Amino acid sequence: MFKLTLRTLNANKIRLALTTFAVVLGVSFVVSSLVLGDGLRNSFGSLSEEIVGGVDLEVEPQSDFGSAQPLDEGLAATVGSVDGVANAVGFVSTEGIQPIKADGTPISTVGPPMIGMSWVDDSSLSGFTIVDGRAPASGMEFSIDEDAAANNDLVIGNTYGVITPAGRVDMDLVGITRFGESNATLGAVLSQYPLETAQELFIREGQLDSVLVRFDDGADRIAVQAAITDILPEQAVAVDQDALLAEIKADFNSGINIFNNILLGFAGVALFVSIFIIANTFAIVLGQRTKELALLRAIGASPKQVRRSTMLEALIVGLVASGLGILGGLGLNYGLRAMFSALGAELPQSDLILAPRTIIVALVVGVGVTMLSAFGPARKAGRIAPIAAMQDSIDAPRQSDRLRNLAGAAVLASGVAVGSFGLFGSIDGVAGRITMLAVGAILTFIGLTFASPAIAKPMISTVGLPLRALGTAGTLSTQNAGRNPRRTASTAASLMVGLALVTTAMVVGESLKQSISETLASEVKADYISSSDEAINSALIAEMGQSDTFSAVSGYRYNEIKVGDDVTGVMGGDLEATGLMFDIGIVDGQLVNDQSQIAVLESEAADRALTVGDELAVTFPSGNTETMTVGAIFSSTTIVDEKYLIHNEGWLTRFGDATDWWASALLADGVSAETADATFASLTEMYPQVQFENRADFNESLESQIDGMLVAINAMLVLAIVIALIGIANTLALSVFERTREIGLLRAVGMSRRQSRRMIRWEAAQVAMFGSLLGIGLGLVFGWGAVTALPDSFVSVLAFPFANIALLVAICAVSGLAAAAFPARRASKLNVLEAISHA
Amino acid sequence: MSLLAIEETNQIQPVTAPVAASARNATKLYRTGETEVRALDGVSVDFEQGRFTAIMGPSGSGKSTLMHCIAGLDQLTSGSVSIGDVSLSDLNEKQLTKLRRDHVGFVFQAFNLIPTLTVEENIKLPAALAGTTPDAGWLATVIDTVGLGDRLGHRPDELSGGQRQRVAVARALAAQPKVIFADEPTGNLDSRTGGEILAFMRSAVDEMGQTIVMVTHDPIAASYADRAVFLADGRIVDEIHSPTAESVLNHMKTMGD
Ligand SMILES: Nc1ncnc2c1ncn2[C@@H]1O[C@H](COP(=O)(O)OP(=O)(O)O)[C@@H](O)[C@H]1O
Ligand SMILES: [Mg+2]
Repeated sequence: MFKLTLRTLNANKIRLALTTFAVVLGVSFVVSSLVLGDGLRNSFGSLSEEIVGGVDLEVEPQSDFGSAQPLDEGLAATVGSVDGVANAVGFVSTEGIQPIKADGTPISTVGPPMIGMSWVDDSSLSGFTIVDGRAPASGMEFSIDEDAAANNDLVIGNTYGVITPAGRVDMDLVGITRFGESNATLGAVLSQYPLETAQELFIREGQLDSVLVRFDDGADRIAVQAAITDILPEQAVAVDQDALLAEIKADFNSGINIFNNILLGFAGVALFVSIFIIANTFAIVLGQRTKELALLRAIGASPKQVRRSTMLEALIVGLVASGLGILGGLGLNYGLRAMFSALGAELPQSDLILAPRTIIVALVVGVGVTMLSAFGPARKAGRIAPIAAMQDSIDAPRQSDRLRNLAGAAVLASGVAVGSFGLFGSIDGVAGRITMLAVGAILTFIGLTFASPAIAKPMISTVGLPLRALGTAGTLSTQNAGRNPRRTASTAASLMVGLALVTTAMVVGESLKQSISETLASEVKADYISSSDEAINSALIAEMGQSDTFSAVSGYRYNEIKVGDDVTGVMGGDLEATGLMFDIGIVDGQLVNDQSQIAVLESEAADRALTVGDELAVTFPSGNTETMTVGAIFSSTTIVDEKYLIHNEGWLTRFGDATDWWASALLADGVSAETADATFASLTEMYPQVQFENRADFNESLESQIDGMLVAINAMLVLAIVIALIGIANTLALSVFERTREIGLLRAVGMSRRQSRRMIRWEAAQVAMFGSLLGIGLGLVFGWGAVTALPDSFVSVLAFPFANIALLVAICAVSGLAAAAFPARRASKLNVLEAISHA
Repeated sequence: MSLLAIEETNQIQPVTAPVAASARNATKLYRTGETEVRALDGVSVDFEQGRFTAIMGPSGSGKSTLMHCIAGLDQLTSGSVSIGDVSLSDLNEKQLTKLRRDHVGFVFQAFNLIPTLTVEENIKLPAALAGTTPDAGWLATVIDTVGLGDRLGHRPDELSGGQRQRVAVARALAAQPKVIFADEPTGNLDSRTGGEILAFMRSAVDEMGQTIVMVTHDPIAASYADRAVFLADGRIVDEIHSPTAESVLNHMKTMGD
C-alpha cells in the first residue's frame, strides 16, 4: 500500500502542489511569527543584560498602588555605609529630554524615547562607557550616546540647548558615551548629566529614582542584601541582580508576547481557513479515484487499508508542506519586518533564530492540520463499496444531508447562544464578553460550514439570477455551482471566514470613527487637542497657560487613589479649564480650581451614597490620607474615563509623578486661528514632539489612526482571503478535470472556447459571491456584537461602512473571476476529441 | 416530390441528391513515437442529403476517425472534407465551432447529455449556445416524434439509457443540421431499445428529410440505413445499397473479418 500511496501522490503533482500551498502558507505564518518573536526576545534579552550590567542590587521605591514615591537622596549614603557594600550611587532619569542641534532645531525621534539620566560614576554600575571626551562632572555639563551625537552632528566642546521639564537650558557637551557593547539603543537618544544637575532639570530636587549598589568582592550577597533591606524605609525595596534582570526581561517579554500572540492569531485564522481547502481537495481527489479505490477493494484491500493509504498520503503532504512552510516562514520573517516598517513601526534588528520548538510546532501544525482535514474524506474512501468499480456514476451519489444539517444547525444555535449570552448575559468585564463573543463566532463558523450546503443551492440560484440572462454559459455556470452544494459550501466557507473577520474589523472601525465624531461634536468645546502619545513637557503647558492666545489650557494626568478599601483610577486636570473645554455631563455642583475638591462619577456617587458637599477620605500613593469635598457629580465617561477627577495642583506631592499625557486648549475670545497657528509654530519649535491639532484635524488624525490599524489588521487577514481564493481555483480546477467529458460534449455540440471560459469563470464568481455574502453577513452581525460588547466610553455608535462593504463584495467577485483564470483556461483548451472519448 | 419518391429513386440511381457532407482523398496519420498509424488512407466519399448511411468496418479500421474529421472535430493530415458546400480546411477553430453548432448534429455512444440540464434544455442546447430559439413548430414536431413530451422537465439521470439516446437524437434534430453524425449510438443498448432508436432515426430521415451518417459494426443496425460503406485499414473497400442484416453479414464474411 505504501508504494501505491507514493505512486498516487506522484501522479497528482499539480493537485498536490495546490493542496500543499494552503498548508505551506499557514505554517509559514506560524513559523515567521515564532521566529520573529524569538529574535526579538533574544535581542531584548541581551539588551536587558546590558541595562543591568554590573549592578549587584538596586534599591527601588515601591507602593501598594499608584505611582511609587521617589526615594530620598540621603538613602544612597545610608546604603553605602552598610557592611559589604563597595559603592552605592543614586540615579534619576526621565523621558522627553531633548538636546537642540547647532542649527537650532531640537533632536527628535519618531517612536523611540529621548531619555535623560544622571551620570553614574562607577564603571561596573554604569551601563555606559566614555568613548570620547570625559564624563559630565558638575554644573551644566552633559554627555550623549555616540549614535545620537553622530546623527545630529553634536561635537564635544560646543554648547547646546537642552529642553527639560525645568525649561530650556544651555549645556556644554563634554563626552560621547556608548551604551553596553555596541550602543544598541534601538533608536533612543540617551543623554547624561551630573546627578545634581539632573535632579534640578528633571524637577527631582533631593530625590532619587533608585540607588545602584555594588558589593565588595567576595561579600556574602544574601547577608548584604538582608542588611540593606533592614535599613530601608517602608516605601523602598532591594532588588537583587537576578530579580532585576527577570523584571526587565518580563517587561520586554510581555510586550513581545502580546505582539507575538496577535501574529499567531492571524496564523490561526489562515490555518483554520486552510482546513476547508485541504479537506475539499482530498474529498474531490478521492471522489475521482472512486473506481480505482473500488477496484482495490474488489481485489481484496480492506477498508482499513484504503483508509490508511489515504491518511498516509495526508501525512506525506503534511510533512512536505511543513518543511516548505519552515523555509517560507524564514522568508516571511523579512516580509513581516518590511510590513511593519512600511506601517511606521520599525522592529529592532535581531538574529534569525530557528528554535527546535519552532520546527516542532511547524510539523505538528502542518501535519496535524492536513491529517485532520483528510480524516473525513479518508473515512469515506474506506466505505467505498467494491461494486462501485463496475458502476458508471457521473455525479457523486446523493447522500442524506439531514444529519449533517441538523448537527450544523445545533452547533450554529449554540454559537448564537454563547454569543448572545456574551452580549446580554450577566458577564462583568469587556474581556469576558469579547471572549464569549469570539467563542460564539468560532461555533457559528463551524455550524454554518456544516449547514451551509443546505442554503448553498437557493443562495446560488439567487446570486446567479442575473447570470441566467447572459445565455447558456451563465445558466450552466449557475447549475454547476449548485450541483455539489457540499463542495461549493466548503469552498466558500474559507472565504466566509476571512471576510467575516474583515467585515467585523470594518464595522468596529467605522463605529469608532462615528463615535469619535459624535463625541467631538457633542462633548468637546476645546479648540485644540494634543495628538502625541508621549509625555507632554510641563514647561510647554505652563507656557501655553501664560499666552494670551488661549483662555483655558490644561494638561491631563492619571494615577490611582484609595477610597475606602478600593484602589481606583483618578484623572487630574485644571478643573475650571476642563469644565470650559469639555461637557462631562455635570449632574450637580460645579468644577472649581480647589485642590481639596473631588468630582465623582454618577454611578460611583450612587454606590457610595455621595452628594455634592459630602466629605470623602482619599488616600494617595504618598501614604497621606486627606479629607476632600465632593464638588461635582458627572455622568459622561468619554473624556474622564475614571471614576474620580481632581485638580492638578498638589498632584506631585500626592502622587510623586506629575506627567501630563495629553492636553487641550481653548482659544481666547477674538483671537484668530492664524494667531493660534503662529503661537503653536513658535511653541513646536521648542517642543517638536508635541503637536496640537484643531478639532477637524484631530478628528481626521484619529480617523487615520483607526484606518491605519484597519489596514494592518486587514493586511494580515488578506492572507486568509488569498488562501480562500487559491481554494476556489483548486476546487474549480478539479471540477473541470472531473467534468472533462461534459465540457468536451458541450464543445462538440457548439460551445465556443470563450463560452466555456465564461462558464467556469462565472461559476467561480458565484462561489466567491456566496462565500462573501455569508461572510459579510456574519461580519455585520459580529461587528454589531463587538460594538455592543465594548464599553460606551470607547464606542457609543454603531455604524456600517456600506460603501466599503459594497466595494469588498465587488473585489471578491472580481477575485473569484481571477481565481478561475487557470481552470477556465484549462476548460477552453480542452481537446474535444480526447474529452469525448475520455473514459 | 414525396420523400418516398426520393427513396425509390435512390434505390435505382445512387448518386443524384445534393451532397450534405463529403471527403476527398482524406488521409489521417497518427504518430506515436517511432510508429506511424495511417488511420485514414485516401478516403473519398459523399453523403447525400436525406439519406441514412452506415459506416462499417472492423475495430481500428478508421470509422471514428473518418467521422470526427468530417464533423470538424479533428483535422486531416491531407485531403479535404466539406459540410454542404463549405470546405472545412478553410475554417479556423472559432468557425468550426460555429459550424458544428449550426450545421452538424452529434449522437455519441454514451454520455450525450449535460447532467445539470433538463431534457428540454438539452434538446435546445445548440440553439441556446448560439443565443437563438429553435423554431417552435419544428421543436414541437421533434419532441412529439421522440415521444418524451411528459419528460421534458426531467434530468438525464432520471431517464433510461434508451430514453437518453432518444433525447440525444432529438437534440441533433432540433437544430435542423445539414448532417447528423452518430458514433455507435446503440452500442450501449440492448437490441430492443437499440431497435427503437434506429427506427426513430430512420423515421427522421424518411419523414423529416434528415441526413444521418452512423458508425456501427452491428449488421442489424446497418440494415436500417439506405447504404452501407465498408472501411478496412483506413480505406473504403466496398459499399452496398439498401443493406439487410444478411447482406451485410455476408459482406463482412467475404472481407474476412
Ligand atoms: N489519438 C490517436 N493516436 C494514435 N492513434 C490513433 C488515435 N486515434 C485512433 N488511432 C488509431 O487509428 C486507427 C483508427 O482508429 P479509429 O478511427 O478509432 O477506428 P474505429 O473507430 O474504426 O475502431 C486505429 O489503429 C487507432 O489505433
Ligand atoms: Mg470507433
